[in-house]
Amino acid sequence: MQNMTLFRKLITVVSLITATSVLLMPSVVSAQQGQPTIEQLLQEPFLDDYYSNVVYGYEIITDTQNNASRYVGNSLNCSNCHLQAGTQKEALPLNVAGMYPKWRAKNGKRNGIGLRIRECFLYSMDGIMPPEDAPEVLAISAYVSYLSQGQIMGAEPEGRGVPTLPDTGYDPNPANGRAVYLEQCASCHGVQGEGMAGMPPVWGLNSYNKGAGMNDIREAAGFIWANMPLGNGKSLSHQQAFDVSAYLNLQIRPSDPRDSKFLKLLEHLIN
Amino acid sequence: MGNWRTEIFAGFVGAILVIPQGITFAYLAGLQPEYGLYCAIFVTLFCSILGTSSMMSGPNTAVAILIGTAVLPLAGRGSPVYIDFVFLLCLMVGAIQLLFWLMRGARIFQYLSPAAISGISAGAGFLIIMSSLDSILDLSTFKTTFFYEKIYVIISDARDLVNPFSLFIGLCTIAGGYLGRRFSPRYFIIIAVTAGYLSGLLVAFIWPQPITELEYLGRMPLEWLPFSVPTINMEYLMISTKLIPYAITIAFIGLAQSLVIVRELKMETDQDINLDKEVYAQGLANLLAPFFSSFAGAGSFNRTKANQSLGATTPFSGIASAGFVLVLITFLGPILTYMPMAAMAGTLFIVGADMIKWRDIKHYAKVRAELVIYLATFVSIMFFGLATGVVVAVFLSVSVFMLRISQLELTVESSDSGVLLKVKGALFYASLAHLTERFHSHFGKNMTVDLQFTTHIDQSAVDFFIRESKHMAAHGARLTLLINDKQGHFLKKLGASSDIELVAL
Repeated sequence: MQNMTLFRKLITVVSLITATSVLLMPSVVSAQQGQPTIEQLLQEPFLDDYYSNVVYGYEIITDTQNNASRYVGNSLNCSNCHLQAGTQKEALPLNVAGMYPKWRAKNGKRNGIGLRIRECFLYSMDGIMPPEDAPEVLAISAYVSYLSQGQIMGAEPEGRGVPTLPDTGYDPNPANGRAVYLEQCASCHGVQGEGMAGMPPVWGLNSYNKGAGMNDIREAAGFIWANMPLGNGKSLSHQQAFDVSAYLNLQIRPSDPRDSKFLKLLEHLIN
Repeated sequence: MGNWRTEIFAGFVGAILVIPQGITFAYLAGLQPEYGLYCAIFVTLFCSILGTSSMMSGPNTAVAILIGTAVLPLAGRGSPVYIDFVFLLCLMVGAIQLLFWLMRGARIFQYLSPAAISGISAGAGFLIIMSSLDSILDLSTFKTTFFYEKIYVIISDARDLVNPFSLFIGLCTIAGGYLGRRFSPRYFIIIAVTAGYLSGLLVAFIWPQPITELEYLGRMPLEWLPFSVPTINMEYLMISTKLIPYAITIAFIGLAQSLVIVRELKMETDQDINLDKEVYAQGLANLLAPFFSSFAGAGSFNRTKANQSLGATTPFSGIASAGFVLVLITFLGPILTYMPMAAMAGTLFIVGADMIKWRDIKHYAKVRAELVIYLATFVSIMFFGLATGVVVAVFLSVSVFMLRISQLELTVESSDSGVLLKVKGALFYASLAHLTERFHSHFGKNMTVDLQFTTHIDQSAVDFFIRESKHMAAHGARLTLLINDKQGHFLKKLGASSDIELVAL
């Protein structure tokens, strides 16, 4: 007798679960299919707080100079490195929200997506580190989570970051890099690396500083090989990319914000 | 027009004073600093052009806090939707204030007792101190229901939560402010900001930002004419119904502060001030504010006082102040970039502490009702926020007012022929109880009621006299009313003459 009631209960529970899942199924599927693109979002007449932050984040990424000028110290935009507003593979795509929080060797602590974005302002944009709850930071993290929809949590998305170039067997040669730069890059980035309208400066006081990821020879070489010259990526050899990267690394640019000016002055005085 | 040099100098000082206030009040309202500066430029400008007094309008503490509490539940701080809602709220505030002007509502503010206004100001001061702690200690914003929970969390977790660099800069600012006041009571805010800025530079010189994690103001993208059109669509209007109570509170609080200032100016100086026109100026300024990227404002006590002490007597000083803010910001912008938020919060702390005055408490302690209003307002703001506190303040001042006017001054003269009752005060349904008691205690005697000094008689009082006279006639006594002409006309209209003996004086 007891077994019978238990059996009946089990059946009701199972049937309820199936019923609800059947009912919910179409909506789940349609939600995945109906994922709007940024262009669609821009045409919506009314956006709630999250989606308007996504759009604001998109506007910051594409026009950092005007939309997040508060914390920017040079004349770069986020989309100068995160090509196609962070949607292009192997060009530091922004669909990486699932990878955070994670430990990073750069600062030796657990990094949330917020801290990662704030450090970008400090190093690559050579500006001020925004506070945790700055509207700009929240908007960019909304945009990053929006781009990361459908990615697996914790797993590396396809084409994350820049490709790691294999060891060519030769040291990077800045002199050769200068020759390649003048031939391939100077027409857009300028002979003095000063950039021009729409093309970012790659060294000098208006470019990223010495703490930025791009100042790392391997990172910059991977980016240059995969994406440069713009629209004609992967045309340079690995060695050429390393050479150009080493040449850029030698140029003058803003100092690393992690250095204490006081200690620098002390060193200077002692020497 | 008075001496224009005096006016321009007063405007210049006003501009210097308003810049740190505009930035910090924008922070209180949950907006980027430039909106506070636009408020300091455009609200001040419109209010002075349209108004009649030398009052300095612009960003206001209580208004800024209320904007923050109203819009924060609806959208993320400083996000595009948040800014849209703030503009919508300010449009509503301006419209409500203009409605006040149309209804000649300036009179309403006479019922708000001075104790209530001081209580609101002290409560706002307390809220400012609490919110300035966030930036001075560099706490990541956490929400607690009551303020003491926050203090408890800060103390118990001090080592993890408090940023020592930020605390150092905040303390330097506060110390600079209080020391500076000894030497120059007028410009101490400037001294405080400078002290904070210099200590911030010192910290930044020794330790890099990744270690200190200090918050800076950053570059301000300022435009000279920041036109913007507030977004209004069906969805926004649906959500904005939630903002209506706040819009009414902000409109009320803003006007109350402005009118208190204007009333003081009217008493202390010989300016030709029109209260209604000031309401109109403030309302229209707030209505226009969203079109110039700024939030609503109200009159400022401290800047008007500084303005007055420098000898400004016309609205021209306000117009000059708006112009100087624009010029100063254009030149100061690059310097302000590295202004630590802790220094701004330190000045906010001083402003907040100044709003809680011991003098007020001592002053109101003399009268119990006033003290109750003051303390009840203050405590309810501490625990339940500014909007609730304002409701409590209004309710208490109106009830005290009601209790007072429902009290009658009765003098009884007994003689052989009967009792003469002199009534002073307003005779209406609420005050009849006192009269009834007297009638009962002298029951059975002839009564003469002297109504010459009664200010107001309503229907229920007349009904009472008719009922009593019938009752007394049944027991062989007589009721006589001593009245003046106007009252006689009114009493006859209500049918009192047939039952009561009326003697016109």
